[in-house]
Amino acid sequence: MSIREREDTMINRRDFGKISLGAGLVATMVRPAWAASAADTAVKAAQQYKGRTITIVWEAGLQSLDPTHFSGPKWKELTGMDVKVVEVATAEMFTKIMQDYKSGAGAYDALNVIPAWMPDLAQAGALEVLDPYVEKYGYASELQTIAPTYRDNQMKVGGKIYGFPDDGDVFLMYYRRDLFEDPAVQKAFKEKTGKDLAVPKTWADFDVVGAGLTDVLKDKGIYGAAFFRQPPYAMYMFEERFRNEGGKFFDADTMKASINSDVGVKVFTAMRNENKFMPPGVEQFGFVENLATFLQGQSAMTISWPPYGRWAEGYGTDQEALNWVPKTTIAGKVGYALPPGGHPELAAGFALSISSTSKNKDAAYLFIQWLNSEDVSRQRVQLPYTLRDPFRNSHYSDPGYLALWPNAKDYLAALKQASQTGLLDLSLLQTDKYEEVLRQAISKLWAGDDPKAILDAAAAQWNDITQKIGVDKQKMVYAAWAAESGAYPKT
Amino acid sequence: MKGVPFHRRKETKLVLRYLIATFLVVIFVFPIYWLFAISFKTPGEIFAFPPVWYPKSIQFNNYAVLFKDGDAKTVGNSLVLSSVSTFFAMIFGTIAAYSLARFKTGGENLGVWIISQRMMPPVAIAFPIFLFYVWLGWVDTYIGLIILYTAFSLPYVIWMMRGYIEEIPLELEESALIDGCNRWEVLWKVVLPMARSGLFATAVFTFVFSWNDFLFALILTRTEVMTYTVQVTHYFGGQSNFWSKIAAMSVLGTIPVFITVATLQRYLVRGISMGAVKG
Amino acid sequence: MAAIAHPDRNFKYCLISPAIFLLLLVGLFPLIFSLVVSFMRVTMLETDTSFAGLVNYVQLFHDARLWQSLLHTALIMVIALPIELLLGLAMAYLFLDRLPGRQLLVSLLMLPTIISPIVAGATWRLLFDNRYGPINQIIGWFAGHPVPALWTVNPGLVYPAIIFCEIWQWTPFMFLILLAALSNVDRSLTEAAEIDGARFWRSFRYVVLPAIFPVMSIAILIRGLDLFRIFDIIWALTAGGPGTMTETISVYTYIQGFRQFETSYTAAIAFLVIALLTVIVTWAIRRMGLAK
Repeated sequence: MSIREREDTMINRRDFGKISLGAGLVATMVRPAWAASAADTAVKAAQQYKGRTITIVWEAGLQSLDPTHFSGPKWKELTGMDVKVVEVATAEMFTKIMQDYKSGAGAYDALNVIPAWMPDLAQAGALEVLDPYVEKYGYASELQTIAPTYRDNQMKVGGKIYGFPDDGDVFLMYYRRDLFEDPAVQKAFKEKTGKDLAVPKTWADFDVVGAGLTDVLKDKGIYGAAFFRQPPYAMYMFEERFRNEGGKFFDADTMKASINSDVGVKVFTAMRNENKFMPPGVEQFGFVENLATFLQGQSAMTISWPPYGRWAEGYGTDQEALNWVPKTTIAGKVGYALPPGGHPELAAGFALSISSTSKNKDAAYLFIQWLNSEDVSRQRVQLPYTLRDPFRNSHYSDPGYLALWPNAKDYLAALKQASQTGLLDLSLLQTDKYEEVLRQAISKLWAGDDPKAILDAAAAQWNDITQKIGVDKQKMVYAAWAAESGAYPKT
Repeated sequence: MKGVPFHRRKETKLVLRYLIATFLVVIFVFPIYWLFAISFKTPGEIFAFPPVWYPKSIQFNNYAVLFKDGDAKTVGNSLVLSSVSTFFAMIFGTIAAYSLARFKTGGENLGVWIISQRMMPPVAIAFPIFLFYVWLGWVDTYIGLIILYTAFSLPYVIWMMRGYIEEIPLELEESALIDGCNRWEVLWKVVLPMARSGLFATAVFTFVFSWNDFLFALILTRTEVMTYTVQVTHYFGGQSNFWSKIAAMSVLGTIPVFITVATLQRYLVRGISMGAVKG
Repeated sequence: MAAIAHPDRNFKYCLISPAIFLLLLVGLFPLIFSLVVSFMRVTMLETDTSFAGLVNYVQLFHDARLWQSLLHTALIMVIALPIELLLGLAMAYLFLDRLPGRQLLVSLLMLPTIISPIVAGATWRLLFDNRYGPINQIIGWFAGHPVPALWTVNPGLVYPAIIFCEIWQWTPFMFLILLAALSNVDRSLTEAAEIDGARFWRSFRYVVLPAIFPVMSIAILIRGLDLFRIFDIIWALTAGGPGTMTETISVYTYIQGFRQFETSYTAAIAFLVIALLTVIVTWAIRRMGLAK
C-alpha cells in the first residue's frame, strides 16, 4: 500500500470516528424533555458550584488525558467548575490516597480506585458512602444499566455503594485470524500434531495449539503465543486460569488457603512449560514488550486488556498520545475470543469514588455522576486515546463505536461476552499482602523452583496473613466476595 | 621499562592512558547513549528484534512535545529545588565542617549524630514528615522541599568538607591569623580557596543527591511543585510505557547538570603543586 | 593535631548553629513520631494508639524475612563497596595527570550518577531484556550463538546484574571524590619520594594514602550508608525477586510501610536499622580514626 493510500484510509477512519462521535453527540442533545438523563441532572445541579475547584486523582500517563483533554474542559464549559487532575503513577495511587486520608489533609475530592482496593479503603474509612447521593440525584436507574458483572461486583462493599465502575477492564484473547485461516498453516499443523487447527477453548487445547504453531511458523520468526509473564501481570492470569480449571482460593469453612491444590500445581507447571514455545525471554515480558511482539506479527495468540484490540487495528495510534505504540503490522488480521476456559479475568479496572475527607463532596459527586453517566461515558470510551473500555450495556451496541473499524462488531461482541462471564480479582482485607505472595511465587516459578514447593510455601504465607488479620474477620469478607456472581465460574 | 628513553616512556604511557580512559568512558556512557538514542527512535525501533543501535532519523518531536505539554517545567522545578538547597547546604555545611574540624565542636558525639541523620531509611520518615508538613502547610510548596533537601544534604556536606579541610595544613591559617586576619577572613581567604576542589566535588554530589530524590518528591508534592523524577514515573503505566518521553525527559534532566560539571571542572583538579608552605 | 589555640567560643557555635537548627527542624519530629508510633498498633485498617508495649519489637526478632533482607543488603555492600573504591581509585589515578580532552571525559563519566536511579533501573531492564536489549545481543556475538541469559529472572544472574548496575552508577562518585583528594596531595612530597628512589607502591602507601585518608574514609562511609539504603535499581530490575531473593532492607521497608501501611511495624524496623547502623558507624569511625 502506498503512503498516500494508507494516509487516505487513516483519514477515512478518523473521519468516520469524528462523524460517529458527532452523531452520538447530536443524539444526546436531541432528547425528549421528559427524559432527564443523569448527565443533565448532574450538570444542572452543579451550576450552584460555579467557580469551585475540585481535585480528582487519576492514573498518570495515557489515562489522564481523558480528564485533562476532554472531560475536564467539557465540565468546566458546562458548569463553570474547575477540575484539577492530580496525576499519580499507577504503582503509587493506593499509597497517595491512603496517606492523604490518614493525614487528614483532605486534598483530594474525587478518586479513581481499583475495585480490589475497595474493601481496604472502605474499612479504613477513606471512601465516602455514595447511596445518599445516588438517591438525591436520581442516579439509580443509570447505575442499573452498567454491564451486570461490573455493576454487581465492582460497586459495593458490605451492601453500600462506594464507587461507580468506570472501566471495562477484562482479558481477551487476540489471535491472528489470517494464520488460523491459512490453509497452508492448517495443513502443516495437522501434519505436525494430528489435530485440526482451531482457536483453543480450553487450556489443554491451548498448549497443543501454541506448541504446534511455533513448530510450524518458527522459521518465519512467529511463535504460537506470547504472554506478559512479569509477576504483576502473570498474577492476574494465574487468578483467572486457576479458577477456570476449578480451583478455589480458600476453603470457605476453615479459611485455609487452597492455592496449593492439585489444580494450582497443574496450572503452575503448565505455565512454565508453555514458556518453551514462546519467545525466549518471555518471562521478562511486560505489557509493552508483549504488545510489541503481537503488533509486529511475531506471536499468533496473546491475552491482554482491550486496548490491544483497538491498537492492533490502528485505531487511535495515529494520535500523538499513542505514538509510543509500535505501529501495527496486523491490522485487519486480528480475531477476538474469550481466553481458554471461557471465563476471563476482570483484571484491575477502575471505579470513581469520593474521598471521605473531601471538602467538596457534593460538587465532586456531581462530576463523577456526570462522568459515569450513559451519555458521557459513551463518548469517553470512544476517545481514540482512551484506556477506558466499554462497561455499559449500551456501549456494546453503540453505532458510533461499531463504526470505528471494520471488525469492531466482533470486538464489542467479544467484550460483551467477556463481561458476562468474567471473573473478579480476588478482593479481601489487605488484598495486596496476598497478591504480593502470588507475585513472589510466580517469580520463583520462572526461577525454576518446584511448583508444588512454591505453592505450599505460598499457601502457608496466605494462612499466616489470614491469622494476623483475624480469621473470622477475613472469613466474612471472603464469604461476601465468594458469593458474588463473578467470584467463581458457575459450574 | 628501564632502557626506554624517558620522553618515549611518557608518550606511550599517555597513549595507553588515553586508550584505557576512552574505553572506560565508552562502557560507562553506553547505557546513557542507549537512552539518548531511544529519545529519537520510533517505537518499532525501540522494540526491534534484533535490537537496533541507532535511530534511522533524528527528529526532535519527542522533545518538542515535552515542552508543549508543560512536562519540561518539572526539570525547571528540580533545578530550582536542587540549586537553592545545594547553595544553602554548602554554606551552612562548610562552616559547620570547619567548626568540627578545627575546634572539635561537640566532640565525637556530634559528628556521629550528624551522620546518623543519613541512616534513617527514607521510607520510615517520609510519612511523619508528610504529617509534619501538612500541619505546617508546606506540602506541595517550594520552600518545603528546599528546606528538606538542605537538611538532608547537610550531613553529607559536613562530613565531606571536614575531611577536605583536614587536608589543609594548619600552618596556613595560623600564619594568616598572625598576619592580623580575623576568623571569618581566615575562612574566606585561606580555607575556602584551598578547599576549592573539595568544595566542587561535594557540591556536585549534593546537587545530584537532591536532583535524584524520588520518594520525598513523590510524597510531599501533588501538582504545583512536581519534580522531574516524579514526572518521569508518570510515563510508566500499567498499560503504557512512554519510552520516548522517558528518554527525552531524562536527557533534558541530565543536560543542566552535565553542563555545570563540565564548566566547573577546572576547580576540580589542580595542576599546580602547592609550593606555598615549603617555600 | 588540628585544634587552634584559644578558639573563640561564640565563633565555633555560630558556625554550627544554622546546620544544627535545620537538622533538628526536619529530623526531630520524624524521630519522635516513629519512636512513639512504634509502641502502638497503627496499621492500615486500625489506628490503635494505645500503648502496646514492645509487641512490634518482639515481632522484629521473629521476622525471618527482615533478617534475610539485612543479609541481602550486607551481601551487596560487601561486594560492591570494595570494587567501587578500587575502581574509582584506579580511575582517579588515570585522570590525574594531564590528558587531552580530560574535561570532557570526566564530565561524561559523571553521567551515570546524574541519571535518576529510577530511569537508570528502567533503562538497564531494557538493556538486559533478552529480546529487545543489546547486552544479550553483544554476548551472542562473542559466543557465536544466541545466549538467552535472563538477567532479571534467573536466580544465578540477578545479583550480578544488580551489583553491576550499582557499580556502574556509583563508581563515578568515588572516582570524582578521590580525584579531588588526590589532586590536593602536595606534589612536592610525591616528587621528593620519587627522587629518593621510592617505587610507586611505597610512595602510595606512605605519602599519598595518609594524605587522602580523611576524605577517602568519609567517602567509604557515605557510600556504605547509601549502599545500605539501595532501592531504585533493585526495585526496577527485580522488585526484590525472584521470590524475596534480592529483597534488601529498603525494599522490605517500602513494601511494609508504603504498600501495606504497617506504620507501627515500619517504625520499629526503622529504629532497629538506626540502632544497627549507629553501632557499625561508631565502630567504623573509631577504627578509621576519624574523630581523633
